[in-house]
Amino acid sequence: MAHRLLRDHEADGWERADFPIICESCLGDNPYVRMTRAEYDKECKICTRPFTVFRWRPGRDARYKKTEICQTCSKLKNVCQVCLLDLEYGLPVQVRDTALSIDSNDAIPKSDVNREYFAEEHDRKARAGIDYESSYGKARPNDTILKLQRTTPYYKRNRAHICSFYIRGECTRGAECPYRHEMPVTGELSQQNIKDRYYGVNDPVALKLLGKAGEMTSLEAPEDESIKTLYVGGLDARVTEQDLRDHFYAHGEIESIKMVLQRACAFVTYTTREGAEKAAEELSNKLVIKGLRLKLMWGRPQTAKPESDGSDQARQQAAVAHSGLLPRAVISQQQNQDLGQGMPYYNNPPPPQQERSYYPSMDPQRMGALIPSQEGPPGGPSGSGENKPSMEKPQMQQHYTHPMMPPPPPGQYHHQPPHQYYPPPYGYMPPVPPYQQYPPPYSAQMVPSQPPAANHPYHHHPMQPGSSQTGSGQVGSGSAPAEAGTSASGSQQQ
Amino acid sequence: MPKVKTNRVKYPEGWELIEPTLSELQAKMREAENDPHDGKRKCETLWPIFKIAYQKSRYIFDLYHQRKEISNELYEFCLDQGYADRNLIAKWKKPGYERLCCLRCMQTRDHNFATACVCRVPKQLREEKVIECVHCGCKGCASGD
Repeated sequence: MAHRLLRDHEADGWERADFPIICESCLGDNPYVRMTRAEYDKECKICTRPFTVFRWRPGRDARYKKTEICQTCSKLKNVCQVCLLDLEYGLPVQVRDTALSIDSNDAIPKSDVNREYFAEEHDRKARAGIDYESSYGKARPNDTILKLQRTTPYYKRNRAHICSFYIRGECTRGAECPYRHEMPVTGELSQQNIKDRYYGVNDPVALKLLGKAGEMTSLEAPEDESIKTLYVGGLDARVTEQDLRDHFYAHGEIESIKMVLQRACAFVTYTTREGAEKAAEELSNKLVIKGLRLKLMWGRPQTAKPESDGSDQARQQAAVAHSGLLPRAVISQQQNQDLGQGMPYYNNPPPPQQERSYYPSMDPQRMGALIPSQEGPPGGPSGSGENKPSMEKPQMQQHYTHPMMPPPPPGQYHHQPPHQYYPPPYGYMPPVPPYQQYPPPYSAQMVPSQPPAANHPYHHHPMQPGSSQTGSGQVGSGSAPAEAGTSASGSQQQ
Repeated sequence: MPKVKTNRVKYPEGWELIEPTLSELQAKMREAENDPHDGKRKCETLWPIFKIAYQKSRYIFDLYHQRKEISNELYEFCLDQGYADRNLIAKWKKPGYERLCCLRCMQTRDHNFATACVCRVPKQLREEKVIECVHCGCKGCASGD
């Protein structure tokens, strides 16, 4: 363009800036950064207008990085000027746009003069302070995006490029060669184009990420139809049972909610399988209570045998989506019914004649009646109660489960199942006071755990010790607290 | 035709002693100037020039200032004739610049952030141990190393 060749930067609409718009990764790990600023040094890779180029070295082992696109283009898409990834999430434009369902692509022209004109207009408006609508600040963080985002800076992308002479075996510079002497990793992801990445079209990295996201989010239902319990992980003190109830009641009638604070988890048992499935489907990636992202998975019956390598187990179990335990669960269910194995079985469908009730007052057992014999499979949704015993067990074995509780930060691209899953303290409290299921030694341990859960309205605190005496290998889960006083459990005992 | 004054070089005494070495260095310089550029980087093609210029200046500097084997007259003669770089030798007389490779590496105006070239940094203070400075291919000209 002839008119762009010379002078009058202002009139031509060339961009000036005082500081680059860049992400943390691109800025580097060193708090001391020396940056050069060169006005109108290069043209923007997207809109080809001259702009202010900033150049710096993001750390000791990094190459020099410079801004590639102008600030106007970067503001239009809310991306870093260097890496073209979103400023908030560190995700490619395509991923962010699909996850947040933003589509500003139509508004931005992509060809020639149209594009330059648009950019100039936009720039002019921004400089004049006219508030253009930017949808990026206002978008509510989607669950998907929160899981996909990068939480820590990624400095590997600041490394030097690969020495192309080395690839051919001809690098004569040897030790002083500043480029990396490694073989390049070629593949689908290597064919990237800056314009494609910017406009969010046909970006291989984004496609890969979206594919992974799609797989992550599906929460398949377990095969065992009797499982109506959902495991909720990642709790902390701020989340109360009432919060859980508020979130889960919409999808079905809650039979019981058992919170296991020691393991930062809770079990929500529905009266119907459909309710549980509905809840799982609707809440699976969107469960955020009081700003805390919670992990939702299907519950599993607690296993009787102590897990010595709980973490591995938890992981594999989680990987199997809990279906792996089902057969065992079925067995244990039967066992529970016969004679508590000390395995709290959360999934047992209560006998039909049991009345479901939330309130301890409706459950004779909760009100202090002692059941001499084992109550049979936990019928009532006294999830919390069940949680406790299962919790006890792992605690007995090893206290590692506790630290494993909190799910890994959702930021990682690889979504890991919470380790603590292993003894999925099912929130399925058998009608029998939890203590009964455990051999006496356990009860001692259980008692101390009572107090933390004491605030739980469903606690059968006083009852626990008493019932534990009966301790006939009741299957019911140990902790009395959080026993969602189901009379079902009571009736089961009968 | 009017008489045209030509300048004819009159070699001072002692010249015969240093002349062979200087001719050799001159020949090397001519060779470096005519070297093909194949297989070398753009900046790398100039490195031999700087290197030989350094050697020539070093020779004369050593003879006069260190070993004191030539007279002032001969020394000045060499500098005037261009066998050595006067400005570079001036730097070598200063503390800390005894091994300066070339004048560009020391010039802060020529670098970003007003620094000197990386070859001026002592090896122990550097992060990369093996470097070749981009101006003259120097591998380290700090006085300590």
